[in-house]
Amino acid sequence: RLSSGRRRHREPAAEGSPAGDRGSMRCQQVSVLYFARSAELAGLRCETLSVPRQLTSLQLWEEIVKVHPRLAVIRDQVVFAVRQEYVLLGDQLLVLQPGDEVAIIPPISGG
Amino acid sequence: MDESEDVPKDFIKLKTEKLSVDEVSELVVSPYCGAVSLFIGTTRNNFEGKKVIHLEYEAYTSMAETEIKKICRDVRKKWPSVKHIAVHHRLGVVPITEASVIIAVSSPHRAESLEAVMYCINTLKASVPIWKKEIYEDEYSWKENKECFWANSEK
Repeated sequence: RLSSGRRRHREPAAEGSPAGDRGSMRCQQVSVLYFARSAELAGLRCETLSVPRQLTSLQLWEEIVKVHPRLAVIRDQVVFAVRQEYVLLGDQLLVLQPGDEVAIIPPISGG
Repeated sequence: MDESEDVPKDFIKLKTEKLSVDEVSELVVSPYCGAVSLFIGTTRNNFEGKKVIHLEYEAYTSMAETEIKKICRDVRKKWPSVKHIAVHHRLGVVPITEASVIIAVSSPHRAESLEAVMYCINTLKASVPIWKKEIYEDEYSWKENKECFWANSEK
């Protein structure tokens, strides 16, 4: 049975950050969407996660797998969609804004 | 005759209700076009010897519509004479022999609409975030299009 959930992942690394701090360690709330097999493995279809503002796509995957270890088995078959653009898991640097949508995209089978 | 009144349009719909070939064809008919070409994707009742009970589709709906719009834009660059394009894809449960997808394209002459329809379905299978689950008697399987470059079908 799948359900939406809210989950706080971790506290920001910088203590007492002043308003307007743009350090890359500052965490950002993003919406993570799960589809098809990834939704079955994670046990839900969407949630809010707190992740670093800047990180590689591979690091983002690793953050998500910490929360849902069962996703590890599909690592070689998924890509992300960040703000509805496909991103491979790898070195690509992502700069995330609050409320950005990140989707786990297993191999597609439309048509 | 004023063809500027018949502005080229894209008709994109993802829906759970049964698809209609008549409805999709009528969307693209134009008095300036001599051809309407159509593709219908239907549900087969078997896969590798297993009986398929039905299919289930899900989609990242907002992104799927955006990706289909990109396909329409590319069609118009490659075949500028194409007039209207309609892509209807069904979501949820699709029984055997019913249509999962219908694509219709109109153009003044037949070559362009025939080629554009083929391009649409091939590109949809490679780039639109929609997923199909095949339900068998005792199990199910998430399908992977061979056109999908991040599928690892050689495992």
